[in-house]
Parts: sequence; structure tokens; C-alpha cells
Amino acid sequence: MTTSAPVLTSAAARVTDAVKVYGSGDTEVRALDGITVGFPAARFTAIMGPSGSGKSTLMHCAAGLDTLTSGAAYIGDTELGALDDRRLTLLRRDRVGFVFQAFNLLPTLTVAENITLPLDLAGERGDPEWIDALIDVVGLRDRLHHRPSELSGGQQQRVAVARAFAGSPDVVFADEPTGNLDSRSGQEVLGLLGRTVRETGRTVVMVTHDPVAAAHADEVVFLADGRLVDRMTAPSAERVLDRMKDLDPGGGHRP
Amino acid sequence: MNATLRLSAASLRAHKRRYFGTFLVVLLGVSFLAGTLVMGDTLKSAFDSMFGRATSGTDAVVRSADAITTPDDAFGTREPVDAALARTIAGLPGVAAAVPGIEGRGQLLGADGEPIGGQGPPTLAGNWIADPDLNSYQLAEGRVPRRSGEAVINRGAAKAGGLEIGDTTVLRTPDPVRITVVGISTFGGEDGMGQVTFTGLTETDAARHLVPEPGQAASIRVRADSGTSQDELVRTLRPALPEGVEAVTGQEITEENTDEISGAFLSVFTLMLLVFAGIALLVATFSIHNTFAIVVAQRTRENALLRALGATRRQVLGQTLAEAVAVGALASVAGLAGGIGIAAGLQALFPAVGFPFPDGDLVVRALSLVLPLVVGLAVCVGSALHPAVLAGRTAPLAALRETAVDVSAASRVRAVAGALVALAGVAVTVAGVLAGPSTALTGLGAVAVLAGFVVLGPVAVTGAVRVLGAPLRRISGRLARRNALRSPRRTAATATALMIGVAVVSLFTVFASSLKATMDQSVSRAFAGDVAVQASGFGAGPNGLSPKLAPALAALPEVDTALGLGQGVARVDGSGRALTVADPAALGRVLDLGTVDGRIDTLADDAVAVSRDEADKRGWAVGSTARFTFTDGTTRPFTVAAVYEEDGITGDYVLSRTAWEPHRLRDTDRVIAVSFAPGTGRDAGKAAVERVAARYGNPEVQTRQEYADSSAAGLDIMLTLVYALLALAVLIALLGIANTLTLAVHERTRELGLLRAVGQTRAQLRAMVRWESVLVAAFGTAGGLVLGAFLGWAMVEATAGGTDSAFAVPPVQLTVVALVGVLAGALAGWRPARRAARLDVLRAIAAE
Repeated sequence: MTTSAPVLTSAAARVTDAVKVYGSGDTEVRALDGITVGFPAARFTAIMGPSGSGKSTLMHCAAGLDTLTSGAAYIGDTELGALDDRRLTLLRRDRVGFVFQAFNLLPTLTVAENITLPLDLAGERGDPEWIDALIDVVGLRDRLHHRPSELSGGQQQRVAVARAFAGSPDVVFADEPTGNLDSRSGQEVLGLLGRTVRETGRTVVMVTHDPVAAAHADEVVFLADGRLVDRMTAPSAERVLDRMKDLDPGGGHRP
Repeated sequence: MNATLRLSAASLRAHKRRYFGTFLVVLLGVSFLAGTLVMGDTLKSAFDSMFGRATSGTDAVVRSADAITTPDDAFGTREPVDAALARTIAGLPGVAAAVPGIEGRGQLLGADGEPIGGQGPPTLAGNWIADPDLNSYQLAEGRVPRRSGEAVINRGAAKAGGLEIGDTTVLRTPDPVRITVVGISTFGGEDGMGQVTFTGLTETDAARHLVPEPGQAASIRVRADSGTSQDELVRTLRPALPEGVEAVTGQEITEENTDEISGAFLSVFTLMLLVFAGIALLVATFSIHNTFAIVVAQRTRENALLRALGATRRQVLGQTLAEAVAVGALASVAGLAGGIGIAAGLQALFPAVGFPFPDGDLVVRALSLVLPLVVGLAVCVGSALHPAVLAGRTAPLAALRETAVDVSAASRVRAVAGALVALAGVAVTVAGVLAGPSTALTGLGAVAVLAGFVVLGPVAVTGAVRVLGAPLRRISGRLARRNALRSPRRTAATATALMIGVAVVSLFTVFASSLKATMDQSVSRAFAGDVAVQASGFGAGPNGLSPKLAPALAALPEVDTALGLGQGVARVDGSGRALTVADPAALGRVLDLGTVDGRIDTLADDAVAVSRDEADKRGWAVGSTARFTFTDGTTRPFTVAAVYEEDGITGDYVLSRTAWEPHRLRDTDRVIAVSFAPGTGRDAGKAAVERVAARYGNPEVQTRQEYADSSAAGLDIMLTLVYALLALAVLIALLGIANTLTLAVHERTRELGLLRAVGQTRAQLRAMVRWESVLVAAFGTAGGLVLGAFLGWAMVEATAGGTDSAFAVPPVQLTVVALVGVLAGALAGWRPARRAARLDVLRAIAAE
């Protein structure tokens, strides 16, 4: 454990002493190497680090999509390692939202149906006012009955953001949400995530390799070799880029 | 190896699982086909050699030359010959031995008192011929019958009835004859001639019990001196024979026998199996086509890349076809092995279930190998042809496009063309039913209707799945509905396979139940008595009733009228017809013949009553004259004295007993119609009849409804066999559904990953895949039911030939078919659902 930050009791999600090992013997890779980090509630946190630093693994394990080799991951006070597949699924459905880099929407469902998918899977109606407000926030009211294939990439990601927030989850995890978008659409999606956190007090954890994207967050945590190396509040693209250059002097980030 | 083949080989290796379904489907179809061919040949050869062995010692047979055949009896009825003729023949030069063959019917009772056999094949009895060369049966144990009351029975009958040498039992001829088993016989080395039972009696006993007049024999069997050929023997015999009696060589008799079994029975049986193999393979083509269509769609980017890199259309097309050839060839070869295995298995299985098919090596002709191989390959390559052409047409630019999912929708052209074909088909079918009816026209229409349904499938699928899926309100069901609708053509093609299977099942169900209803209706309409008495069993099994039973019943105080209906045969104006022989005066008291022109109760000895249908066909009315020729060679005119409406029990001709008496062949009644005396209760009357019947071979005493039902008893067995044969086609269709779903699951990996990530439980995912399977199956089943019911109606009407037939849609059976179809759909979705649920969420999301 290196720069261990104090574990915040108000963390929406956190991991302690998290270790994730892939493979064994010669091919063993320690993607997470005893990391402890919390993601405070009502904040927009970005996870940054060079390729192979373990940032995606951290997100997957914190979100209950993957399991840790050792250590513990929590959503609120729920320890994920103690849950079986079914409970983990229900937890994801009820308390976690996701925005992936691509392929966020079911092609067979309309925009409206995609937004309420986690609620439908839970057999719940959700909060109609909240969903209605969300639709306005993401600006897709006139597209509700379209199919995803009729939307642009940026619009699709905005639907994904609305979907992620629809069930009022404790935390929304976004995995390179702007990776497939042009810069203008990307800005829209990031602005949307930031606004939702600030205006409605939601929690977002975003993995990115883009300093400009990270600058939208309230705080950036830096990973290298599966360890937490730094945290930066009120980031700007320039500061983030500088920090990244220190971390990965040779490679930098992917274009 | 050139580039195309190398790519095919690599692709096959990489996607073994994708083609497994296709492999299995072709294998099953080819196995069925090869198994049928091999089994047919094997049975034929075994029967031929069995008959050859059984009659090998008989050099000539002397019998009446004329055989009157009727539409229901192709073998024909011959007049007996004088048994004394044997002595004359024995004295001729070149003749080593000549013995009369007295043949009749006799059903044995087993050790438990239950009758042996009679369920289809006949129960025969005859004189035990001492000369082993002239006897079809060989003594295997014990001794030959010497004293009256002794008998040799065939081993099959002995086993079935638990009878052993020394046992005493009853032979129903149909009058009960007590016999003691003194010997056990075999037929051509087998336990019997199939399921036929045979009891050999002394010549005196046989003459007394089995034929109407002592001294009658069915034929004289002759053995030649060594050095006299069969042809020479026949030439010697001919001048010595009375008029109307012929001599034929043993060789010809063997050929007649084998023709009857392998020609008439086996070839119909084999043909029927081949038709069902064809249906299975037709169903398979849809499944195979679908697999290749999906694989090609999934490979669009790969194929586009190949095209972009310089592969020609022909090379891309060739790659897909080469894969089809490889899968088809492998599966066909495996299917051949499977088919031979099936034939060998059945050969071993039949005796185990009491079906003594003769032994013999498997006969595998070149045709039995080449035909299934060619058909399997053709089905596989033919089904892949269209997808392969589409693969070849892939635009190089498609490599750059995002999605590779087949979202083919139904076109307007398809809707119009399909509707036109289907409507034309319906029109032609209906025209075929109304005009004529013409079976050919109806058949043509049926094929067009089927084609129309196939073309219309993708058009209908959207509406149908919405309707069928409407009850699915939960999220998994809703998602399943969307998934089923996303590629109408694929869903329709998958369902079409099942549709064809279900259509054929429903067609036979409807046809059989209509046939039953027709029989039931015509029998119950014509029957005006209280109970009917008839021998149990069906087909050639029942031996009829003792002629003494009807008078005995009539003597009961509880009985008003007991009318025995005897059977006769004659050539009427040149064509053989079965006759009913009865007392005309009593006829009207127990039968309702409907509207009768003329008078039937006073039917004279030179008069006949004819059914309305037959009279119309022949252009007769009351007063017309018909020429009757009997087996004894006499020909005389009969006047049509009555024309009656209801022929359900009597058939087309009724003759008085006195008119038939001089020409009689067998003294048995087919059925006795009984009406009770006034004031007799049904139960009391039935009990009284049963008490008397018990003394005459214990035939069944049936109420009106039981009697009507029993007339259609054989139909249920046929239907069961048809269902069993169709099970394979339905299985192939279900494999097709499972295969399509598996491919779809593969194609939707990322989507499934996403669903799991946002909270779909494994159970929900499984339910989603299974519901999709159920929806596809329900669509196919619904289409099949509609198609089958319509074609069933057409078949009923077209084959009815103008007679009034009942069309019955059996609600219970069809509901069962529908439920089975839908449940089977759930079963087909089981494996794909499990596979889908096992997907690792993270890997699924990341999948390309």
C-alpha cells in the first residue's frame, strides 16, 4: 500500500487492500496491487492512469462486475465479496448505474424503454418525476420512441447516462464514456454527468485516459501499476496532463 | 490446397459449434433414409428366403384357376378343390407324393384362456401334412398329430400363449374345438410366418372343423420324382385335372407369396417410411438454410474484408459452399453409419418386442449407400446455396460498417407474392374438392398452399408474434418478443420447419378423426339393434362367428331378433365384390337401411339389394339385372330388388342366405345384430347374450357405441405409427430452433453482457431466451395447426369420393398438439438459455 488515503465513511463506493491478479506463474499480472481508495458520495470522481495501470479493473471490481483476488469492495456499506451472483446482480440493478464506452443500448428497445430497463428488470416503476426530469436534462424528449439505431453516437451516450441515473443509484460508473465520441458530443456527455452530480447530488465514478474529460470531475485519482499514486481536487486538463506525464514518461496516453 | 479451401477449413475449425446443429440435423435425416432403405431390403430378402425355404419342397400346386379379387382383398378367393383329387394325382407318372392342403381359420386360446394373436395378421389352421417336403411348417419338437384332437402349433403361438407339449386348449374355428398340443412347428426356420399363427390338425379333424363340406381342400400339393422338373410335372398334371383347376409350379407359388409380402406389404411400408424420411429432410433444409444465413450474416465484415483484399465473389461464395460440402459430407457419412446401425438395431429389437421378423444378414445395396449420401449432400449444399450467393455479393465497404446483424425484414413483394400463391393454392384445393373430387388437383393445391405459407411466414411473423406474445407482460417476455421480431425472416424460417412438422401431424390427426367419425356415423346410423356381437381383433385377425350362434341367440326369451351377417364374394358384372349374406326378412328389424327403393324384406333367391352409391356408380335402379359369377364358376343373373341408403354395416350388396347357399365358402358370420324383446332391460339382455356367446368362442358383445368405435379400431394404431414417424421431423425442427437461438445468443453476446451488467439476473436471462424459443415454436405450431386442419379437410373431402363423409376437428388432440409444440419450444430453448446465462458479464461486454 502506498499513498493510502483515509477511508471516508461517506464514500458511495470504496475498495480496501484490493488485489486483483490475472493468470498465474510467469504470466501473472497484478492489475490491482493492494489499493485502498474511496469514492465520496455526491462527487464526480475520475480515475486516471496510463494503460495497464489497473484503472478499468478498479472500476469493474468496485462496481461488482468483477471480483477481487483479495481485499474488499463496498457499495455503501455492502461488502461485495460476500454476495453471490444473484445478489450481486440485484445490487447492480438497484444501486449501481453504468455507462460503457460503446454498446450501451439494446437495439430492440426504444429510447424510453432503454432508459427504464433496469427498473423494468426489477419490476419497478421508479420515480416518474425523476425520470421525466432526467429526460429533460439529457434533452431527448423528442426522441423517446426512436430506436437507438436512429440516434447519433452522442445521443446514444446521453440515453445511456439517463439510463444509468434512472433508478436513483448510489453510484454511477462510467467507463471511458466519451471514448467513441467526437469532442463536441463528448463535452455534452461530460457536462451532463457533471451537472447531474452537482444539481442532484448523485455520485459518479468515471474511468478515462483523457485529461480534458478528467477535468470535468471534482477530483481525480491517479493509478500506476495497480496502486493509488495521487489524488487531485479541482483538476484542470493541464494539471492532469502534467501529472500523467510524470506517471508515464515514456508512453503518455493513447491519442 | 487453394486459398478458398484453406479459409473454409480454418473457418470450420474455428466454428465447430456453429455447424454442430447442421451436422446433427443432416445426420438424423440421412440416418432415417439409410435405415429405411437398408431395413426394407433386409426384410425383403429375409422374407424371400423364408418363403423360399418354406415352399422349397413343393414342386407343384393344384388349385382352382379362378380367384375372385375384391378391392379389399388382392389375394383373392378361390373355390376349394376335391381332396380326393390327390389320390388321382399321386398315381400319375413323375409324381412322388400328392397331399390335399385343407386350410381354414382357427384361433388358439393361450394357457391363460386369452386368445392368441388376431391383432392384424390372420390365425390359420389346416391339416398337418406328414410329408415334410410338402409342409410349409417343420416339426421342431414332439410328434405329428395322429389321433383326433391332437395338434401341432407353431412356436410363435406356443410362446405367446404359454403352451407346451401335452397342454390341452381350445381352437376356435370359430366353434370351440378341444385340442391337445403334441408338437411344436417352425416356419422356414422361424417361430412363425411373422405374427401369423398356425395349428395343424389331422386330416379328418381339419375336414370336419375347418371347411363347410368334408372333402374340400384349398389345394393339392405335389412333389415330383427326382429327375422330374417342376415344369415337366406341371405338364404331366394338366391333362389329368378337371375343368377350372390349374397346376402351377412351386417356383411360381413362392413368387406369389413373396410378391404379396414384399411387393404389397413391404413396399407400401417402405414407401411410407421414405415419405416420412422425406418430410424430415424437408424440415431439415429450413434449419440448415437458417444456420448458413446466420453464419453468413455474422461473417459480413470478414467476407467484406476478404473482398476488399481482392477475393473474388466466386471465392467468397466458394468458401461458404465448401463449408456446406464438408459439413454435409461428414454428416452424411455419419448418417449412413447411423442408418445401418438403426436397421441392425431394429432387426435385433423386433424379436425382443415379439415381432418375429425373420433372421438374415443386413442387406446393404449400393443404392442404400449412394442415395442417402447424395441426398444428404444435396440437402446441405442446396440449403446453403442462397446464403453462399449472398456471401459472395458482400460489398467490400461492408467491412467498415459497424453492425453485422441480420435484420432482414419482410418486403412488400413477398407479402403480395405469398398471398397470391397461398390464395391460388386454397382456390385450387377447394376446386379439387368440389370438382370431382380430384385428388391430383387437391394435392397440387396443397403444395401451393404450403409454399404460400412458407413465403408468407416473414410477413405474418410480426403480427403473429405480437398476438402470441401479448400475454407476456413481464420484462423477460417483452424482451423475448422483441428479439423474436428483430429478424422476421430468420424467425419465420426457424418456425417454418416446425410448422411443416406440426402441419403433417395435424393433417393426419384431422384425417384420422374424420375417418373415424365417418365410420362411426355410418355404422351407428345403420345399426338399429341393441347390441352387436363380433369376434375380437382387427385386420385379418378375426375369424368370424359360428353360424350356430345367431339361431342360439334368437332362441333366447330376452332376444327379439338376432341377425347374423355372413360374408360372400362374387364377380358382379366383371368386377369382384364382397357380399353380405343375411336373412332379408329380419334385416329391417335390426338395421336401419335408410330410404329403400323397392322391398328388401322379400328379397328372393334370384334378387339382390344394392347400396345407393354402388347403384349410382353402375347406373342401376330397381328392376335392373346384374350378372353374378361365383367361385364355383356358375354365372347367373340377379335382379336388383332394392336400393338402400345406409351401407355402413352391410356394404354394397346384400344376398339372401338361400341365394348364397349353393356357392358358400366359409360358414361364418361377420357380425350378429341383436335387438331385445320388448320389456328387456339393456343390462339383462346383454348379460343373456354374453352367456350364450361364451359357449361359441366368447366373441365381444358390444353396445351400439362400442360397435361403432370398434369399426375404427385399426385407425388408432396407424395414427400412433404415423406420430412416431413424424417425431423425427419435429425433433429436427426443434433442433433447428435450438440451433438458431444458439447462434443468436452468440450474435448478441454484447447485448446480453449489457443486460447482465445493468441488472438482469441469470434467471431472467434464461427466461428471456426460453420465451423467445416458445414464441418461435408457438408461431410455427399455430401456422402448422391452421395449415394441417385445412389440408386435413381437403384430404377428407378429396378422398371421400362423393360419399357423405364427416369432417371432424378433434379439439382435444389438436390442443395436445398445440401444447406439445409450445412445450417443446421451451425445451428447445433450454440449452441456448443455459449457455447464454453462463456468459461472463465483462467478457461479453468486451466481445467483438
